[in-house]
Amino acid sequence: MTDDEVADHPSGIVNMRRSTVVLGLGNPLMADEGIGVCLVVQLSRLATEHLDVEFVDAGTGGLAILHQIRDRRKAVFIDCAYMGEQPGVIRRFTPEDVCSGKVLAHQSLHEADLLRILDMSRQLGQTPDEVVIFGIQPERIEPRLDLSPSLRGRIDEYLTVLLKELKP
Amino acid sequence: MSKGTVNINVHHVTRIEGHGNIVLNAASGKIEKLEWQVPEAPRFFEAMVRGRSYEDIQTIVTRICGICSITHSLASTKAVENAMGITVSEQADKVRILMHYSEQLQSHVLHVGYLAAPDFFGVPSVVPLVAMAPDAVKTIIGLHRLANDWSDLIAGRTTHPVTLKPGGLTKFPTEKELRALQDRLKKSLPDLKVVAEVVLSVAGNIPNFQRPTEYVALKQTNPPAYTFYHGDITSTDYDGAVAINDWKTVANEYVSDQSTAKWTKWHRKSYAVGALARFNNNAEHLSPTAKAVAKMFGLEKGNCNPYMNTVAQLIEAVHVVEVSIAMIDELLTQGIKPETVKVSPKAGKASGCVEAPRGILFHEYEFDRKGNCVGADICIPTNQNHAGIQEDFEALVPMILDEPEDKIRLKLEMLVRSYDPCVSCSTHMLDVQFVR
Repeated sequence: MTDDEVADHPSGIVNMRRSTVVLGLGNPLMADEGIGVCLVVQLSRLATEHLDVEFVDAGTGGLAILHQIRDRRKAVFIDCAYMGEQPGVIRRFTPEDVCSGKVLAHQSLHEADLLRILDMSRQLGQTPDEVVIFGIQPERIEPRLDLSPSLRGRIDEYLTVLLKELKP
Repeated sequence: MSKGTVNINVHHVTRIEGHGNIVLNAASGKIEKLEWQVPEAPRFFEAMVRGRSYEDIQTIVTRICGICSITHSLASTKAVENAMGITVSEQADKVRILMHYSEQLQSHVLHVGYLAAPDFFGVPSVVPLVAMAPDAVKTIIGLHRLANDWSDLIAGRTTHPVTLKPGGLTKFPTEKELRALQDRLKKSLPDLKVVAEVVLSVAGNIPNFQRPTEYVALKQTNPPAYTFYHGDITSTDYDGAVAINDWKTVANEYVSDQSTAKWTKWHRKSYAVGALARFNNNAEHLSPTAKAVAKMFGLEKGNCNPYMNTVAQLIEAVHVVEVSIAMIDELLTQGIKPETVKVSPKAGKASGCVEAPRGILFHEYEFDRKGNCVGADICIPTNQNHAGIQEDFEALVPMILDEPEDKIRLKLEMLVRSYDPCVSCSTHMLDVQFVR
């Protein structure tokens, strides 16, 4: 972080960014779409064991991701993902491993595609050295507050996989 | 030239995420079908809050939208307070308004820079714009970053605020933090002027289209102000003010066959909300620099060009920064004092209203004596713009029907984008195919 950037921080306090950020994405009002937020909230309870990691409930903030990954060495995303897998399956991949199947309307700021945001970050020269995405295949995306049984029963497994990723 | 024969079907339904569809079929200059369709699945948020405590309402409804999360939080919290007769200190009120302004800046610079600017520069999205106008994009990103940091400070995080509670706030910024924020806001004004000049340089690409329209917005009279947060409801067709609890007499929601979202109307077949609506109702109360930016673009009250909503957003971005600088001075003069809020729930029913970046937003809740929610009704700004978009289509298309099909299509898409709609942000999941 440069002096200017330190001075830019609204707190006015020197606040070096943690080198790794874990971002949970999604909307907990839409059942399995909220799995990223659910997992990052649970991981953040272990924050004292991971002093170099910042855990962020990024919700559906879209392009705010650009700023949250800037000046980091590593970014780990947790998100619900259509991957053609069985519901509940978790897969680890990088942006280079996949192409997006999403068609954006470019009608509003409310649509977002993580892969395009990462592409923009790369063009701006602000991408972390390492970007890892954990996708979890949903069983249901519908307006309700709870996760489907396929995902709910595997939370401990997901946390184990994610914590392994955070080991130095 | 299309010679008046056009078939445009812009469909953007991808799995759960629904967006608006643009349908135009015309043959030999005769329009056969012209519709703005909104096929998004209903989201039933009102049902989700039933049975929940008044203390949980904000934490649920903030998730309705990742771009307007502060706005939904404020509207719901105000509704809870109105329903239970809870008052808020002057200090908390000011800090909440500061919080609200951070979201206005966040959303407006995003819309101007990421969604509208590609249209003005003739590129399909912001991604090619990074290479085409890197300095302008970096300036926009810097302003967006400032707005995010501002939200972090006042709302507790960038998206989905955590410092709000009925009766006040759980945390106030320190005086040192406010001074640092104020310093950054002062430094950002020249950047906003740069963005205004860049937009002005391509303003010739903003279509010149006017349709007489009713504009609905909040109006604050005591003291008079360009308001996003306090006041009653008014319109450019109405020389009075409607109390917030009576918002249903303004919205008059109804069902349209071409939409799963409800549409609204007041004195005409449709009305518009958003930055241009606020400008057309309250422009005389803008900050000095915001007025200067309006003058740069020749934007005056009474403008009925929906494409100019983007310019009005730019003007508002300048306004919220300038008035926030003054508001921080007021807070610092009074000194930040600790507050403890104690609330006793009681039965009641009331509404809360604020201006979302994209227009006036209404939340209504009813609670039993234990403070559990027994009913809710939310009316979002984008739904209030759907009927107007349809009317714009009907007025615009006969004027441009002889143009090439791709130009007609672009003008219709630009029109939709200019309203800065919120057609779906409930789901953002990845949709990927593995390539290795």
